[in-house]
Amino acid sequence: MIRPLLWILGGLVLGGIIHIIVILTLPALAEQSVWSRVATLAADNRMVILPPVQAGEPNPLGLDPELAYGLCRVDLANGPAYVSGVLPDAFWSVALFNPSGIVTYSTTNRDGIGQTLELGIFNAAQTRLLAQQQLDIAEGLLVVESVSDKLLILVRLAPPHRAMRARFEQELSEVECGTRAASGT
Amino acid sequence: MRFVFYLLMMITVALGVGFGLSYYALTDGRLFGVAQVGPWHAWPDVGANTPNPYTRGHLARTAAFELGQAEGLEFIATVDSEGEALTRDCAYRVDGKTPLATFWTLVAVDDAGINIAASDVAPAMRSSGIARADDGSIVINVGTRLLPRNWLELSGEGPFRLVLTLYDTAAFSGFSSDASMPSIIRGDCA
Repeated sequence: MIRPLLWILGGLVLGGIIHIIVILTLPALAEQSVWSRVATLAADNRMVILPPVQAGEPNPLGLDPELAYGLCRVDLANGPAYVSGVLPDAFWSVALFNPSGIVTYSTTNRDGIGQTLELGIFNAAQTRLLAQQQLDIAEGLLVVESVSDKLLILVRLAPPHRAMRARFEQELSEVECGTRAASGT
Repeated sequence: MRFVFYLLMMITVALGVGFGLSYYALTDGRLFGVAQVGPWHAWPDVGANTPNPYTRGHLARTAAFELGQAEGLEFIATVDSEGEALTRDCAYRVDGKTPLATFWTLVAVDDAGINIAASDVAPAMRSSGIARADDGSIVINVGTRLLPRNWLELSGEGPFRLVLTLYDTAAFSGFSSDASMPSIIRGDCA
């Protein structure tokens, strides 16, 4: 009687191990990520407006139909990245996604930065250089240190009304985004 | 012979528990990593820069642009307040108060994440565009057939999910104890 129970117990322990392995390896095994889903967009060093969500159409990126989205892809290996622009007076937020699709930094305009979006993104080595140079950081410029070089920058902008959407998307697309080569500084 | 039987039994139990538990934990997620408020559930550290392994698995499965921790939080309901699965055969009333947030949107999607709002209306309900009671509480009617007051009109048939996205919210941030979410009350069914 005790033997089958031991076998079942062994099965449960083995099942637990399989469960842990599955959970830990799943992110590495996933065939699609946000990164691959936006790979076809020409968003390198420029702000691309993502198409709005329509009822009845697939929404693989899980976007909110009420919001306008601007996406920019940068690689810090080419130099520190910047995002610079003035957005309309409405709620907006910025998120940085690393290649695993994890949000490494996010902020909103409610954190006291108003309509001006000024973001400088540096990797560890560039941050060290920046600190050594002891530059005065302009007021309102957000300095972000990133662990990974490749980043997706997603700006969410919430037009108060649908009629304003086209104008808001236009203003969002005028936000500058890209990397500055080391020789230029 | 008996050894082989026991071995097969053990392997069956191991595979069933291992993969079944993994699937359950990431689909429903009620076991680990998920915050449950009434019928609503959310992955609170989906926007953190070091999510826990279950949230990482969830992220890998959805492969969507999740909200960062500073940006907000997304709540999903697949059942009503009684625990019955949401279906487009019935009318529902989303009734109550939402946690403090700059604004929120409510959308209805099917199992594939496709927005199922009727084609000639706005695909989302937004906090700034609805009529409220004097105390600020909300009543939103959700269904395919004509409903009074704030009506999120749906199309098609079958099960659906409600997604309530709170932007710039204090919910689960540790600064607010206000975690009251609206209840979802089933009305008439076809």
